[in-house]
Amino acid sequence: MPSIHLRDVCVDFPIYQAGARSLKKMLIAGTTHGNLARDAHDRVMVRALHDITMDVDNSDRIGLIGANGAGKTTLLKVLAGIYKPTQGRIHISGHTTALINSSVGLNQDATGRENIILRGLYMDIHPRDMRERIEQVAEFTELGSYLDMPVRTYSAGMMVRLAFAVSTCIRPEILILDEWLSAGDAHFLAKAQRRMEEFVTRSSILVLASHAFELIEEWCTRAVYLKNGLIEAIGPVDEVIDRYKESVSTND
Amino acid sequence: MSVNPVVSELVASAAARTNALAAPPSRLKEALSDLAGGVSRNWIWTRLAYQDIKERYRGSVLGPFWVTLTNLVMIASMGIIYSELFHAEISTYVPYIMAGILTWQFISGMINEGCATFTNAHDVIQQVPMPFSVQAYRVIYRNLIVLAHSAVIIPIGLLLFRVPVDWHLVELIPALIFLSVNGLWMAVLLGAISTRFRDIPPIVNNVVQVLFFLTPIFWPIDAVQSLKAVLVLNPFFAWIDVVRAPLLGVLPEPTSWPILIGSTLGGSLISFLFFVRFRERIAYWI
Repeated sequence: MPSIHLRDVCVDFPIYQAGARSLKKMLIAGTTHGNLARDAHDRVMVRALHDITMDVDNSDRIGLIGANGAGKTTLLKVLAGIYKPTQGRIHISGHTTALINSSVGLNQDATGRENIILRGLYMDIHPRDMRERIEQVAEFTELGSYLDMPVRTYSAGMMVRLAFAVSTCIRPEILILDEWLSAGDAHFLAKAQRRMEEFVTRSSILVLASHAFELIEEWCTRAVYLKNGLIEAIGPVDEVIDRYKESVSTND
Repeated sequence: MSVNPVVSELVASAAARTNALAAPPSRLKEALSDLAGGVSRNWIWTRLAYQDIKERYRGSVLGPFWVTLTNLVMIASMGIIYSELFHAEISTYVPYIMAGILTWQFISGMINEGCATFTNAHDVIQQVPMPFSVQAYRVIYRNLIVLAHSAVIIPIGLLLFRVPVDWHLVELIPALIFLSVNGLWMAVLLGAISTRFRDIPPIVNNVVQVLFFLTPIFWPIDAVQSLKAVLVLNPFFAWIDVVRAPLLGVLPEPTSWPILIGSTLGGSLISFLFFVRFRERIAYWI
């Protein structure tokens, strides 16, 4: 049974300014102040996530909302296992597929079909298995003869279709989506939602970050409102969205 | 500020289930499973390496055989001029530089591209969970593919100059295995350090370039008899010697294999300890 548990998770990013990143500066700091460690402690840290505690259980569909820079993408990356929390604990069970960026793993000069195989690699799908599914994927994208064209001729929406079709062709237990999905048109979104419902009924978890409230309202069962790296609200979708709207309007 | 009912309800429920999570696996365990997970995903990095080569030569007619052709021209012209310069017999000098230069390209390719092991894959590392070691195996495999293309001139050269090779040729197999593992630890270590310190790749690049001239590759080691005892200790000489000697039908220097094995084991240990300690920081540094 897939599940996600976070306890007091913090993520701090060290900021290496142009100079601070160089070895020279570190070595000079070492010789002039005689202390490398101090340089390490003096560096500027940005806390992207602060004490995040949440539990996501089987069949939960979580919508993540919040202003730009609230930590949505960082949280998705923590859930995907890309960033290891600098503090706190995390436990994820289940096979995870993350779609943070629709163009990752896409080779601009390769054709759509080649890219289906290539993107499959990044999703941990063997080319042999991918070739069996290629027609099914091709059909879902509705890209037709475009699949034999280089991907650089695609529009953003077409790339989203390709990426989504590949990523959902094996029904991951946990699917993590960043807001790029909204680049698709209404027809595609409806189709994507049908596929999503299909796989959520087979006990899976969805975490979706988006600014499009309609998408969250339609797709998600719970919502999380992030503000400055903290969880401001978590609960039923409409209540959390109301709370977000309220908070935005009072700030104005 | 009013207390938000949604928040209070869920904070309460979270508090009720404050079952502490089990401690995460140790760094050592995670590093080991990263390396093993990379090995078991060999179908990913072989394919990615192949794709890298395809990408490099997309649209070109000769493709990776451009390297072969470039080497052919270089070795032939160097062979003619330098054999005069060093008063060497052309029939022994050409096979010597051929074996030396090709091995050198393999080693220096792994080192120079090793610096970009992780930075080149930054988009993947930032978007998709995947063992870091996949990227290192990819660099080594890519260089093996290049070597396989450039090595086609070796049998031609050996036949043309009637080099007396014998069963010692089988030593090439352990030699290439050790050189690949040796390249692997450098790709992991240099790749990880280069994500944090962006000055490392050009520094390494410079050092490698200087070493090309300091290592007996296009000049025979016997040309500087007085310094030979020191020159054989250069690890780059040892690394090249274990491949070059069997190709020339001679025995490697007695120091070469010990140096190769020592640098492979010692370097792997250092690189592994570094990887255990800093593996999870790579995604932050990149």
